[in-house]
Amino acid sequence: MDRPLLSIKDLTVDFITPDASMRAVDNMSFDVPMGKTVGIVGESGSGKSVTSLAIMRLLPQPPAHISGQILFDGTDLLKLPDDQMRKIRGDKIAMIFQEPMTSLNPVFKTGAQVAETLMLHRGMDKKTAWEKAIDLFNEVGIPNPSQKVHAYPHEMSGGQKQRVMIAMAIACDPKLLICDEPTTALDVTIQKQVLELLKGLQEKHKMSMLFITHDLGVIADVADDVVVMYRSKMVEKDKTRAIFESSKHPYTKGLIACRPDMGANPKRLLTVSDFMDEAGNGLKVTRDRVQVFEKDYEAKNGNDILLEVKDIHTHFPIKGGLFGRKVGEVKAVDGVSFQLKRGKTLGLVGESGCGKTTLGRTILRLVEPTSGSIIYDGKDVTKMGQEEMRLLRRKMQIIFQDPYSSLNPRMTVGEILTEPLVVHGLGGGKKERLDAAKALMEKVGMKANQLNRYPHEFSGGQRQRICIARALMLRPEFVICDESVSALDVSIQAQVLNLLLDLQQEFKLTYIFISHDLGVVNFISDEVGVMNKGVLVEMDRADRIYKQPREEYTKQLLGAIPKGLPKNIEAFIS
Amino acid sequence: MSAQDTKSLWADAFSRLVRDRWALISLVIVIIYAGIAVLATVGWGLPDWKTSQASEYLPPSSQFWLGTDLFGRDVFAKVIHGTKIAMSVGLVTSLIAIPIGVFIGAIAGYFGGWIDDIISWFITTFSSIPNIMLLISITLIMGKGLVSVYLALGITGWVGLARLIRGEVMKHKEREYVHAASAIGGGHFRKLFIHILPNVTHLVIINTSLQFQTAIKSEVILSYLGLGVQGEPSWGTMIDDARQELARGVWWQLAGATFAMFLVVLAFNLLGDALRDSLDPKLKGK
Amino acid sequence: MTTYIIRRLLYMIPVIFGVSFIIFVLFNVVAGDPAPLLLGKHATAQQIHDLREQLGLNKPLFAQYMDVVKSAFTFDFGRSWATRQDIIEMIRQGAWPSLTLTIPAFAISTVLSILLSLVVAFYRGKGIDLTIRFLCIAGQSISSVAYILFFQYFFAYKLGWFEISGYEPEFPMFLSYVALPGIIWIVLSLGPDVRFFRTVILDEIYQDYVRTARAKGLGEITVLLKHVLRNAMIPIITYVVIQIPFLILGALLLESFFSIPGLGGITLNALNSSDFPVIKAMAVLSSIAYILFSLLTDVLYTLADPRVKLK
Repeated sequence: MDRPLLSIKDLTVDFITPDASMRAVDNMSFDVPMGKTVGIVGESGSGKSVTSLAIMRLLPQPPAHISGQILFDGTDLLKLPDDQMRKIRGDKIAMIFQEPMTSLNPVFKTGAQVAETLMLHRGMDKKTAWEKAIDLFNEVGIPNPSQKVHAYPHEMSGGQKQRVMIAMAIACDPKLLICDEPTTALDVTIQKQVLELLKGLQEKHKMSMLFITHDLGVIADVADDVVVMYRSKMVEKDKTRAIFESSKHPYTKGLIACRPDMGANPKRLLTVSDFMDEAGNGLKVTRDRVQVFEKDYEAKNGNDILLEVKDIHTHFPIKGGLFGRKVGEVKAVDGVSFQLKRGKTLGLVGESGCGKTTLGRTILRLVEPTSGSIIYDGKDVTKMGQEEMRLLRRKMQIIFQDPYSSLNPRMTVGEILTEPLVVHGLGGGKKERLDAAKALMEKVGMKANQLNRYPHEFSGGQRQRICIARALMLRPEFVICDESVSALDVSIQAQVLNLLLDLQQEFKLTYIFISHDLGVVNFISDEVGVMNKGVLVEMDRADRIYKQPREEYTKQLLGAIPKGLPKNIEAFIS
Repeated sequence: MSAQDTKSLWADAFSRLVRDRWALISLVIVIIYAGIAVLATVGWGLPDWKTSQASEYLPPSSQFWLGTDLFGRDVFAKVIHGTKIAMSVGLVTSLIAIPIGVFIGAIAGYFGGWIDDIISWFITTFSSIPNIMLLISITLIMGKGLVSVYLALGITGWVGLARLIRGEVMKHKEREYVHAASAIGGGHFRKLFIHILPNVTHLVIINTSLQFQTAIKSEVILSYLGLGVQGEPSWGTMIDDARQELARGVWWQLAGATFAMFLVVLAFNLLGDALRDSLDPKLKGK
Repeated sequence: MTTYIIRRLLYMIPVIFGVSFIIFVLFNVVAGDPAPLLLGKHATAQQIHDLREQLGLNKPLFAQYMDVVKSAFTFDFGRSWATRQDIIEMIRQGAWPSLTLTIPAFAISTVLSILLSLVVAFYRGKGIDLTIRFLCIAGQSISSVAYILFFQYFFAYKLGWFEISGYEPEFPMFLSYVALPGIIWIVLSLGPDVRFFRTVILDEIYQDYVRTARAKGLGEITVLLKHVLRNAMIPIITYVVIQIPFLILGALLLESFFSIPGLGGITLNALNSSDFPVIKAMAVLSSIAYILFSLLTDVLYTLADPRVKLK
């Protein structure tokens, strides 16, 4: 136990192309002790994945230039010849990737892909390797292993595919397992199972793990030590508990504080910028900023119902047979009813494929419902003609998930923002419209002189602000946020959530907030509906859903959230 | 970054294109050929190809850089003049094929359903007849000459583009920015013409460079088959003439026409590749 | 799967109607009256009328269209106007010389292209890759007619390595006739094929599963030959198989130039003598072959790609 299994010293990775050079990892040093788990946490682009690929020597060189030392069991991996390194990969160091959907070869049977590793490193013949593959499938908890080895990747669910990846990784009893965001693409209930599996395997095989994630909740559950990365530098490393309870770096504090909690939250989420200025200097956070906020569930004008959805069904046909007739249907939304009061926020939460996005789009009639009615402000939306519907669109708007695909890349921000006014013939002439756009740009925290820029010139968070501004150009009263913060880093997510709350107050907005993230939904919503398989399983006040869930599915969902460590709000006040 | 530094994707792509040395050279070559074609059309400043200036089949010399042909005409002048036919065939067939391809592909991809069924049937029907059969049949029936060549190449050229645009429009139709356009109340016209089409235009540009070279090469084949241009020098007819000449050791018509054509087709080829790299962001870095 | 094949075979019917329509419009509507052309200048009105009657050209247009459709389903294309031969018989005779030229040339060029594209993909971005890519583009930029003229002049006429033209159907003999056109075919195909295969292979090389394969410790060559190629074969199969119907049509230019009495040569002769029935027959047959082979492509797809289930 004296010598750490993996010891990284002064690791620096540069990407150098003829056009530009970029430092992805800047002078990192840390150890992974024998049998322990070290977590690397950071936001996108912080260099955490590059670090893991550098250890595996999977970065293409050039453009990557790596310097420093990566000592594995005393050997510097960076100095090994290629063929020696290949013997280590998959044998002594194995790796699991983020995307189980694309990380397996689609044209080979899953069993063959596991057996391949065994044949390569253990010199097994085909038959023995396949038998061992069945054992491994069994060990990682895939049901019917002797049949499932013959399945192709597309015949398995995302969770099962990730289990195959794990089976492949542990096949040769590696000493070090690198997990790069292994659960990010998975639903929360599956995530829990996979994390438990990984922890169990680690103990059983006495492996060391290097666990890379953006999710502090996950890191607290699995890691002994944590390394925090920010803008390609390591800003802090410590024991996990110490990181959560008494982190020293303002960025780490911000990262911990900005994640909405299941329980108590301040009225506005803290963000990294509350703790640290642009130059990286720590800032003071006052006590009133962390004051826990109690929601006012009984608002004064609380009885005016803006939206009522009655037994809505949205089914998509499955075509087949000789002449492409309808042979079946996917019941994406299968009988949902609820009411939403003016000025309130309804959170819709559920796992992927539960129908929450289709429900949102159906309410706006971006997708036609199969049956049921949607009463908006006393009128049935499903019975409206084209012109009436067009006029109603001024009142109901939507903000989408992906800030990269929801803005037309060929239009300037000014064109994007004024388009709603042009479509509806509102807002006077070109100049008046641009003025309105400028005003709203400032409202969403952008600069008015950025209107002639194009979407690709902005970051993800900025783009999402532009999407919000576009949705508000027509002064709507009702906005659906469809996973609108899911694609953003947590610190940006907190800023956008704060913005949405501010705008709700200022413009008296009613929200439907769709998300898979229970923490976020809890923070922003007055009422929460839990969806599963196209049905609204349970709907109640936000605090009650979290404290006293009635339905089994809701309990399961809540139980699966990585608990992390309770954040010690007091520790954030300087 | 100040507000003036802003760059559209087009401007961005253009600056990437001109930074690529080969692409820039190709662009210059294409522009020079186009310039010569314009001069040949208006009849300015180019050497005379019509009159017999010397005896037949003189080899290349300082006076006649590429020698003379059967009628003692200057082969170099013919090669230069042939640029007009080549470039005009490329231009006219692009003007016919590309609007048809874009329109048909966009309508099918955007509306789907029975409209797509009918258009897809039409595309399958068209592509199941071998291109060269169709080309030859059309020129044969329409009679020899430039107009037939234009029509034949124009009518056969749209199929590939239509199929490409159809697929691409289908993909874009489901992108969130198009849903966003619906959400603000935009109609079909706005969604298709203002949102989706500008996002597939790069394919049209790439395809145009492809259409140009296909057209230029096909003109040679048609001329070789005796279906091409009459009464004016074209690279195709010159290469066709070389059939009789080679056995007599007269190689300069073939060499001149082939090289002139090689240079411009190569330029279009390289330009097409560079355009694809610079206009298609997903291919960046390959 | 069976349902799918039946559906696709049924889909042939409207496509054949469509192809027949295009051919009908071209040859029966747009094209002028062939009778004076066939009979020469001194034909009497009566002779022209009789010939039109005999060719079925006096029928109403719809009936003429149905004649074209009927021929597509019965394979009865009548006789050639030029040679008076039965067209199906002509095609049967022409098939062998065409296939002896195109099949070996096609097979060799495909294998060669795949090998070359693997080499360039392995050395992607390096000198070999750039050189071969440039040669491919440059090779593609030269007119096919120029290749034919030059190769025949240089290798057959000047060096005397090959027969200048002609054909003999017996086995070892035909080789000396098809070798040179075959080589030209290969040279012409290499450029576009290598470029296409290279793109396909590089598309796969940047996929996540390739990273997984490397993380297992597999060598770069195993990764390329096993994991990448197996996936790249899916688009490659489509690209290759869909060319086969055009092989049946033969190499139009090559056959006529080297006087190989194949289908391509027959088609070109028909063109030169305005022999409409032969051209119609070739167009109909090649489009039927095209549809059948695109169906075959789909079926092969399911073998190459386990994700595809035809419904």
